[in-house]
Amino acid sequence: MNFALTEDQEMLRDEIVHFARQELNKDIIERDRNQQFPRDLWLKCGEMGLQGLPVPEEYGGAGLDALSTAIAIEALGYGCEDGGLSFSICAHLLACVIPIMNHGTEEQKRKYLPKLCSGELIAVNAMSEPGTGSDAFNMKTRAIKEEGGYRVNGTKIWSTNGPVADIALLYAVTDPGKGISGSTSAFIVEKETPGFSPGQKFEKMGLRTSPIGEMVFEDMLVPESALLGGEGAGFVLFNQSMEWERVCIGAKHCGTMRRLMEKSVSYSKERESFGQPISKYEAVSNKIADMKMRLEGARLLTYQGATRLDKARDVAIDASMTKIFVSEALVQTALDTVQIYGGNGFTTDYEVERTLRDSIGGKIYSGTNEIQKKILGNWLGL
Amino acid sequence: MNIAVCIKQTPDTTTRIQVADGGGEIVDDGIQWIISPYDEFAIEEALKLTEANGGEVTIVSMGPARVEKTIREALAMGAQKAIRIDCESIPNDPGVTAKVLAEVLRGRGFDLIFTGRQAIDGDQAQVPGRLAHLLDWACVSVVIDLAIDGDKGTALREVEGGSERVHFTMPAVIGANRHLNEPRYRNMRGIMKAKRIPIEVVQVDAPAPQLEITSYSYPPQKGERKLFENGASDVAEVVRLLREEAQVI
Repeated sequence: MNFALTEDQEMLRDEIVHFARQELNKDIIERDRNQQFPRDLWLKCGEMGLQGLPVPEEYGGAGLDALSTAIAIEALGYGCEDGGLSFSICAHLLACVIPIMNHGTEEQKRKYLPKLCSGELIAVNAMSEPGTGSDAFNMKTRAIKEEGGYRVNGTKIWSTNGPVADIALLYAVTDPGKGISGSTSAFIVEKETPGFSPGQKFEKMGLRTSPIGEMVFEDMLVPESALLGGEGAGFVLFNQSMEWERVCIGAKHCGTMRRLMEKSVSYSKERESFGQPISKYEAVSNKIADMKMRLEGARLLTYQGATRLDKARDVAIDASMTKIFVSEALVQTALDTVQIYGGNGFTTDYEVERTLRDSIGGKIYSGTNEIQKKILGNWLGL
Repeated sequence: MNIAVCIKQTPDTTTRIQVADGGGEIVDDGIQWIISPYDEFAIEEALKLTEANGGEVTIVSMGPARVEKTIREALAMGAQKAIRIDCESIPNDPGVTAKVLAEVLRGRGFDLIFTGRQAIDGDQAQVPGRLAHLLDWACVSVVIDLAIDGDKGTALREVEGGSERVHFTMPAVIGANRHLNEPRYRNMRGIMKAKRIPIEVVQVDAPAPQLEITSYSYPPQKGERKLFENGASDVAEVVRLLREEAQVI
């Protein structure tokens, strides 16, 4: 078991951190306040290759293995202080680009992947519905086969990137009789398709630079060629994309935790009370020591999950454990950072309260932590 | 247009340099190695020229195997080929560097050779001039703007208090300065591509150095701070101390 990074993993990590600090961290307070998605920075990230990390080079990606992809995303989480932007990139890459990479026909891959990798196209994963979040396959959206393709009706909600997306990876029930594992299919839908309209945009407590909204599909006819992975493949496809998401967003959180820990170290060494730096008080230094332990534990779980993503058949358990452990570690670290910063931490200008707000979503999206525990419980035969 | 870019692996600008006991050498352990920053401007300019005019960029560096990491960082920006001139340690004598580079690069059909204006460790700034002399090529250094038209070139160079425009005939050696361009980021595709490019390793019998570094020493320690807390009424005392104690005015 070798824990050292390779030279190219080190190089891509260092270069992403350098890029993110130089290019992505200006005016975030304003963007966060105005819920503004930075399309220009999105395109710069595309030039860097962030939206296509594991995609083979022939389709415009960098061809990284899953562990290197996680290391790259961790570097983004560390260098980029705009948690919404990095979240949008993760949602696009992990829940849309990777399913197309893994299950697309040659034609679909040639048509969509190069533009998805460069950032020219933005993708949204259209899965959750008003009545079904973690219980996703109980969806109401139907795609009924007819001449010329499938007729789709339904409404999706909480779709990250929805308000700015050019294409949607839409999940709909094609054959309710086939049970949970075969009833659902995935479609690649272009935003110009008649019957596809964005619904309302939601305001949220964190990740405010990452637009999220509703998507309405009304009598929309999609051609058979839009089907991804064949009819009934939705279940496998979605679960696989969630495994990537749960592990690799964990990697982003590891990067964020490292940044928060380093901020806490330097702030506590500078800030003085009663004549000495607050880092000298164990009540403070213990919090930071815990941050370090949580970070290292979280990273080990994440890397373990990542090494299995493109090798093992079933990564669901690794993904669920990583998801729970890392998202909770991040919330605690963000909360403690605000506490160490004290009154300053509670103000917007110090830019740690935003990361706390951003972190809360991690316990909810990609399947709530409660559902992840249920998956673990089931696996343990409980 | 075929261009060679000579780069040097140097310690990171934030490295705390440690002199070994006895002062004869720098301690290598724990040093973070980078491409000498002026060389990054050289690489960028070479890439821009070949992107506009066709041709290839070859990265050239001298040093032991550890230098290949730095060469890969240069390749990741988009260069196509690389040569490592094998030697136990990177020469301290720029005369040796220039002679070896001339021997390796002569006859390979390069139209231009770029270097940084100087490396940030040795600060000798001799290689571009000496290399051009040995090849009998034109040399323009401290270049902040460059235009190539056929076999002619125009360069703007920074000089004391202003700038100077020069025309030159190719082939030429160009020493890049800051502001010549904005070096690009290494994107993910570039990093992965760089991994697969073979690095040609060349063995050369290096000539004997004509200079030798006999010792290194640290800059003088900064003295203790003196605080003057009485505003304008301290001015006379500050002036007296600057003159008599610090002897700077």
